[in-house]
Amino acid sequence: MAEHPRRRSDISARLVEGEMVVLDRERDLVHQLNLTATFIWDRCDGQCTTQEIARQLIDAFDVDPRTAEASVAAALQQFERLGLLERA
Amino acid sequence: MYTLTLKTLDRSIRVNCEESETRSLLTAAYGHMEDDAGPADLHYTVGRDGARFFIRREGREVLAAPDDGMFLALFDADIAIELQKLRRDLYFVHAAVLTVGDSAFMLAAQSRSGKSTVCWALSHYGFRYLSDELGPVDLKTLRIHPFTRALMLKTNPSASYPLPATTLHTSRGCYVAAADMPGGIGEGPASLIAVFFLRYDPEGREPSIRRISVAEAAVRLYANTLNALAHTGDGLDAAIWITTATACFVLLTADLTATCALLTDTLKELPREERRVQ
Repeated sequence: MAEHPRRRSDISARLVEGEMVVLDRERDLVHQLNLTATFIWDRCDGQCTTQEIARQLIDAFDVDPRTAEASVAAALQQFERLGLLERA
Repeated sequence: MYTLTLKTLDRSIRVNCEESETRSLLTAAYGHMEDDAGPADLHYTVGRDGARFFIRREGREVLAAPDDGMFLALFDADIAIELQKLRRDLYFVHAAVLTVGDSAFMLAAQSRSGKSTVCWALSHYGFRYLSDELGPVDLKTLRIHPFTRALMLKTNPSASYPLPATTLHTSRGCYVAAADMPGGIGEGPASLIAVFFLRYDPEGREPSIRRISVAEAAVRLYANTLNALAHTGDGLDAAIWITTATACFVLLTADLTATCALLTDTLKELPREERRVQ
């Protein structure tokens, strides 16, 4: 997994009532992200590290570090599996 | 030579039929759209070449069909694509559409999800028919246009909802003319107030319904959109606009009567502001 995850630049995304709708034209797929995944997606800017994203998640959602790290790892794995991130 | 002139979505389609069988088939499927509509926007010639059916339209290669069912399917697919080109302003959703009063709701689903069967059953409960296949939405007004091709059922519905004697039976399924829908035909365009995304669970004993978020609805609507790329932002903004302005549900279908009752109750329970004419 990339140390500084970055969203693919050709993906279209819209925030709708706290949830992200993500359109991947290349793969002809459209995804809905829940609140947590949306929070993580927003921070996949190529600047934040995975640890920083987890720390921000702790602050925002008041979760324990272990839960935050697991959530970030799971979301990033999912994003990678779906091909939504730039290749490391 | 027989000429059939159809009008739908404010566009005119002229079909020259070289013999009577193709004309009968098209009249059974599209008869409600018949209109002497002036200059044609689309022009077809259809007929039989021995045992096979053919469909000719300028600018494309001739389509050949081995039987009546495939003939109507190919004709339908071609018309649907050409109408999307002729009305790029409309947002075409793969959906059945019914109306109640001046309001419309869509049943959106992938093929073979029972959309037409549920539409057929609902027409027995006073809902008026607007479309079985295409839900063309005007994005400025959120009104949905009629596309009154005959309702097409791939399998016979349950005995509680028998088919009329006039039903056209083809190799690929049955066509019930719009004029024969028990609830009648809706006045269109009508204001879109709700979208039901159908899922069929063959193991399901009871139907269930769940209101979904705008984001989930937008994703589901987008997946059922036929001409998304004709719109700005690849159609994503339009999907969000529609689902923001309407009530959206996932309806897990089961027994038809129970499914219709659940959908009817859901519509009745929509808050007044969501049922209002847009």
